[in-house]
Amino acid sequence: MIRARMAPEALLLLAAICVPLTLYWDFSWESTIGVDRFFGPPHAANYLAVAAAALAAIAMARVTTAAGVGGVALGRARAPLGAWVVLWGAGAFVAAMLFDRWWQASYGLAAGLWHPPQIGKAVAYFAVVAGAWIALVARQTSAGTALAAALAAGALLALISVVTTAQSFANRQHSSVFYELGCASYPIVLVAHGVAGRLRAPASAASAAYMSLVALVVWVLPRFAATPQAGPVYNTLDHMLAPPFPLLLIVPAFALDLLLRRPGRGRGDFAFTALECAAAFTALFVATQWFFSGFLLSPAADQPLFAGGGRQWPFFLRIDPGARTAFWDFMSPDLDLASAGSALCLAFAASATGLWLGRAMRGAR
Amino acid sequence: MKSLAAALSCLALAATASAHVGSPNVFFEGRAGVHPVRVVIRPPQTFPGLAQADIRIADADVSAVSVQPAFLDAGSDALPPPSPAERVAGDSQLWNASFWLLRRGSYGVEVSLESARGGGRVAVPLQAAALAKPVMPPALGVTLLALGVLLAGAAVWIAAAAARNSGRARLAAVAAAGVCCAAAYGGNWRWQQMDRDFANALTKPLPVGAAVRSADSANVLELTPTREAPASAAWDTLVTDHGKLMHLFLVREPEFDAFAHLHPVRRDPRSFEGMLPPLPGGTYQLYAEVTHEDGSSETLVSQVNLPPPVGLAAQAAALPGGVICLSSTTLATSAAAPTALDFDDSWHTGISDPARGRSTALMGGGRMEFLTDGELVADRDTSLRFGAFGPDGAPLAIEPYMGMQGHAVLRRRDGAVFTHLHPAGSMSMAAAEMLAKRDGTVSPMPLASGARPGEVEFPYAFPQPGEYRMWVQVRAGGRVLTGVFDVVVRERS
Repeated sequence: MIRARMAPEALLLLAAICVPLTLYWDFSWESTIGVDRFFGPPHAANYLAVAAAALAAIAMARVTTAAGVGGVALGRARAPLGAWVVLWGAGAFVAAMLFDRWWQASYGLAAGLWHPPQIGKAVAYFAVVAGAWIALVARQTSAGTALAAALAAGALLALISVVTTAQSFANRQHSSVFYELGCASYPIVLVAHGVAGRLRAPASAASAAYMSLVALVVWVLPRFAATPQAGPVYNTLDHMLAPPFPLLLIVPAFALDLLLRRPGRGRGDFAFTALECAAAFTALFVATQWFFSGFLLSPAADQPLFAGGGRQWPFFLRIDPGARTAFWDFMSPDLDLASAGSALCLAFAASATGLWLGRAMRGAR
Repeated sequence: MKSLAAALSCLALAATASAHVGSPNVFFEGRAGVHPVRVVIRPPQTFPGLAQADIRIADADVSAVSVQPAFLDAGSDALPPPSPAERVAGDSQLWNASFWLLRRGSYGVEVSLESARGGGRVAVPLQAAALAKPVMPPALGVTLLALGVLLAGAAVWIAAAAARNSGRARLAAVAAAGVCCAAAYGGNWRWQQMDRDFANALTKPLPVGAAVRSADSANVLELTPTREAPASAAWDTLVTDHGKLMHLFLVREPEFDAFAHLHPVRRDPRSFEGMLPPLPGGTYQLYAEVTHEDGSSETLVSQVNLPPPVGLAAQAAALPGGVICLSSTTLATSAAAPTALDFDDSWHTGISDPARGRSTALMGGGRMEFLTDGELVADRDTSLRFGAFGPDGAPLAIEPYMGMQGHAVLRRRDGAVFTHLHPAGSMSMAAAEMLAKRDGTVSPMPLASGARPGEVEFPYAFPQPGEYRMWVQVRAGGRVLTGVFDVVVRERS
C-alpha cells in the first residue's frame, strides 16, 4: 500500500534522473553520429522523461486534491509546490519545443549557441528537475525517501554539468570562466540540499549521486558502436563518445556538510554561514579540479574508467594535436587572484541563495 | 546536448557566396566513368541540414549509386561515409540520395556508380549557404505569445504561492513578474542579435563599384570593390573559369534590349578593366562572376550608366535592322591594358520585347529556336534545348565557345533570379576542375554526343515562378550568336 502510494514520487525521481542522462546521450549522439532528427532515440527518450515527470506530477496532484489538504491550491486543484513547478516546466518545454522546431528549420543549429528556444528548453529542464527535487525534499519521511531527494539533487547537479559541458572539458579546467561558472552554480544546490536534506551528509550524498550518474554515462555509452554520418570528420570515432569525466564535487560537498551540520548553527548567522560555505567550496573546488584535470589530460587517464588522455573529441572538432592534452588559455585566461576573488564572490551569492532556498524547502508544502 | 555541437559548428566558417542570384540548386551533366549522368543537388537552407541529390542515369547496368560530400576546407581524410542512393519508385533511371551537411561552405559532392563496366565517379562542386532571412508564420507567433503569457502568469502564481507562508506573496509575485519581463526582453535581444548575424552571413550578391571612362575613342568599364566589401572578397585569389578570371554580363534596363557578355582584365588585386563594345547608352544591370582558388564563387552586382558609344563604335551601334549580334574577332586576351575587346566578348542589341515564341532572329538571317516541349514549371528538373539554324534553315555547325557548346543567361524580370548556365550545368567549371584534380576524378565536360547538330542543351530547374528572359549564346562561323527568349514559368501545383 505504501509502495503504491509512493509510485508517483518514484516515477518523478526516475524522470528527473533521466532528463540529464538523456541530454548526455544526446550530446554523445551528436558528437559521434552528428545526424540529428526530431524523433531520434536520445530526443525521444528526453521527451518521454519530461512527459513522465508531468504524469507523475499530475498523479501527485490527484492524490493531494483527493485528500483535500496540504499542497498548494489552485481553485479546487491541490498539488505539492514541486509538482506545480514540474507541470510549469512541462508546459514551458512544449512551448520551447514548438519554438525550437521552427528555429531549427529557419536558422539552423549552426546559427549560434544559446538561441532563444534553446534557453527556453534549458529553463524547462531546470523547472522539471528542480520541481522534482522540491517535491521529493518535501516527502523525506524515511531514509529511503531522503535518499530519493539526494538522488534528485544529484540529477539537478548533473543538469548543471550538462549545460556547462563546453566549459568543463579538462582542457578548460585551469581557466577562470570554469571556476566562476562552477562557483556560481553548484553551491546553490549543494548548500540547499545540505540544509534541507535529511541524510547524515546530504550534500555529499547529492554530489555522490551526481558523480555516479555522470560516471555511468561515461562508462556505458562508449560500449556502443557508432560512427559519424556527416562531415567533416576531424576525429575518427567507432564508438559513442564519452562526455567529460564528472567533477569531484564530493570533496567540497563533504566540507559543506561539515559546516552546515555543526551543532549550534542557527538562523542568525546567515551571512557568515554563506561566507564559510563559499570559502570552503571555492578553495576545495579549485584545489581538486586544478590537479585532477592535469591527471585527466595525462596518458594515465587514457582508459575507459576516466575517458581522458585528450582522446575524447566530437568528430566535427578540429583540434591541433598539441592542444589535445594542453590547458587552453586562448578561450579565457587562466585563474588568477582577481578571477579567484570573482569566483569567491559568485560562490558567496550562490551559497546565500542555497541557504535561503534550503530553509524555504524545509518548510515547503 | 546541442549547445556544444552548435557552438563548435560555428567555428571557422568562411563567408561564402554563390555564383548565381536566387538559384541555389546545382545542376551537372556529364559522365561518371563511361556512364552519362545528370545530377541535381538541392542544398539545405539551414545547417546542419539534409541535402538532396537526384541522379539520372540512363544505363541499366548501374547497380548502385552513392553520394559523399567533402567539405573542401577539411581535407580528404575528413570524409563522412558515403550515403547510398535509392531508385525512385516509378522511374527506373532516377536515383535519390539524402546527405547531411554540417555547416555552410564549399563542398565537393562525389557521386560514385557501380556497374559491370567498372562504374565511375564524378565530383560536383556545391556551395551551401542560407539565402533568406526566416519569417515566423503569424499563427505560430500568436500561439507562442499566448503560451508565453500563460507561462508567465503561472510562474507569478507559483512564486506567490511558494512565498505565502512567509507572508511575502506579493513581493514574490512582483519579483517573478520582473524576472519574466527581463527574460522576455533578454530573449528578444538575443533573437535580434542572432538574426542580424544570420542576415550578415546570407548568400547574397556582393556590390561592386562600376564606372565608365573614355579612352582612345572607346569606353572603358572599371570595377573596384566597394567599401563595404569584406576582406575575403579580394581579387588576388581568383582562378580562371572557362579561361577567364571574370565573366561580366550587362543587361540594359528596363527594356532588356541590350546584352553583353564580356571578360574584363584584372589590373591589380582591387580593380578590373574592360573595353566596352558599342552598346546603346542607358542604365545597365551588371553581374560579374568570379571564382576563388578555394573553389568558392561570387556574383558581383552593380548598376552602371553607359554613355552613348564613341568613334567608330557609334556607327556600329547605329546600324539599322532588328538585331545586332556581334563578337570580337581580334585576340586580345590578357592584354596588359584594355585597348581592345577580348576575343570571347560578345554583345547583342535588338527588339525590346521578343514575342513569347519559340523562335528568335539571329544576326545574318538565321534563327534560334527553343525546342523544349511542354510548359515550364518551377522547381521541376528540365532540359532547356535550343537549335540554331542558318538563313537556309540548315542547322548551324556549333563551335566551342570558351570550351562549351553554348552559354545561357537567365534573369527573372524583377531580378530575383539570375544565373549563368552551360551544357555541363550551373556550377563553376573552375571549381569543378579543381575538385577533379584534388579527387582524381574526371573533370566534368559537356557531352559532345548529347545534342543533335545545331542544338545545345542546358540542365536546369527554375527556382521560382515568373517571367524570365533567356539569352542563349553559341559560336558558329567564328562569331558568337545570341538568341533571346521570353518564357513564363508556372508555379508548381
